[in-house]
Amino acid sequence: MRKDYSRHKKIFLVIPVFNEVRIIKEVIAEIKKAGYYHLVIVDDGSKDGTYQAIEGIPCVTALRHKFNCGKGASVKTGIEAALMLGADIIVTLDGDGQHDPLDIKKLICPIERDNFDVVLGSRLINPKGMPKSRLLFNKFGNFYTWVMYGLKVNDSQSGFRAYSRPIASRINPQANRYDFDSEIIKEISFRELRFKEVPIKVRYTKYSMGKQQKQGLKNGVKTALRILWNVID
Amino acid sequence: MIPDHLRLYQVVVIFIATIMLYQGFEKLIKRDSSQTLLKFFIRLVIWGGMGAVALFPPISTVIARFIGIEGNTNAVILTGFLLVFLMVFKLLSAIEKLEKRFSELIQKDALKKVNKKK
Repeated sequence: MRKDYSRHKKIFLVIPVFNEVRIIKEVIAEIKKAGYYHLVIVDDGSKDGTYQAIEGIPCVTALRHKFNCGKGASVKTGIEAALMLGADIIVTLDGDGQHDPLDIKKLICPIERDNFDVVLGSRLINPKGMPKSRLLFNKFGNFYTWVMYGLKVNDSQSGFRAYSRPIASRINPQANRYDFDSEIIKEISFRELRFKEVPIKVRYTKYSMGKQQKQGLKNGVKTALRILWNVID
Repeated sequence: MIPDHLRLYQVVVIFIATIMLYQGFEKLIKRDSSQTLLKFFIRLVIWGGMGAVALFPPISTVIARFIGIEGNTNAVILTGFLLVFLMVFKLLSAIEKLEKRFSELIQKDALKKVNKKK
């Protein structure tokens, strides 16, 4: 018998994508195999035909930004769409196959059972297999986020997170790019939300590590400057 | 001690600093989502600092001695630098606002499909 975790509470998965035509169908198939059937995929102005590839796939609500607006903007569009479609719990994850759909259950359980507001998937609780450069980068990101927003977390840059419906409708992050992930930490801190961190597995493949738009050093510096600018402006 | 005669540059800097501080304070009081206590504190340090130096110029001598620069020419260059800083600050703010509005339009357009689906 096939599992369907979406049956009891409406669990929606929001996946922002940008130029992921090579892998997105595989990612969708893997998520469905794990038992989740409400997917909102937001194509952020891809030029490689990603939107055409996902449009019409059963269980997938495919949305498209006409121009590239950034990962944060795509996640916000996806969350908004999921709320409009009646989601009870919203899980965000990356579209490059780095996140394991089997970990989704770990993220939604604290919301379902213990009424947590937000659950953060953390790669750094068990960083086995994580490249050293990325480990260092993430630790710096955590320190920077702590200095800026006053909340210490194990993985401030993870995109694998779950939100309860009331919180997803209440939070109002302004960031549109990679600084979105840090701004969620700010929202948790300033609004005093109940949050939990759970360990997640990350699969660093040649494909995901080779992507230009991922948080590399250049994007990391840009994100740090953007956070600083948002604080000053 | 406030000097007896304020020079033009002092009036201008104090005026600009007051406006910037007032805007930040107003946002904070109105609980604008873009304004936080930390943001206001940083604004207070930057613009308050500029205002304080303009109002009490001897502070700048102490600072200049401390960091090792002195002289009128340096003061002129510094003033120019502050003006450029002000313009860049306002310009970046305006670009940021435009970018946000543009993104909002794109996002609304993408969500039309969900509205139709409902």
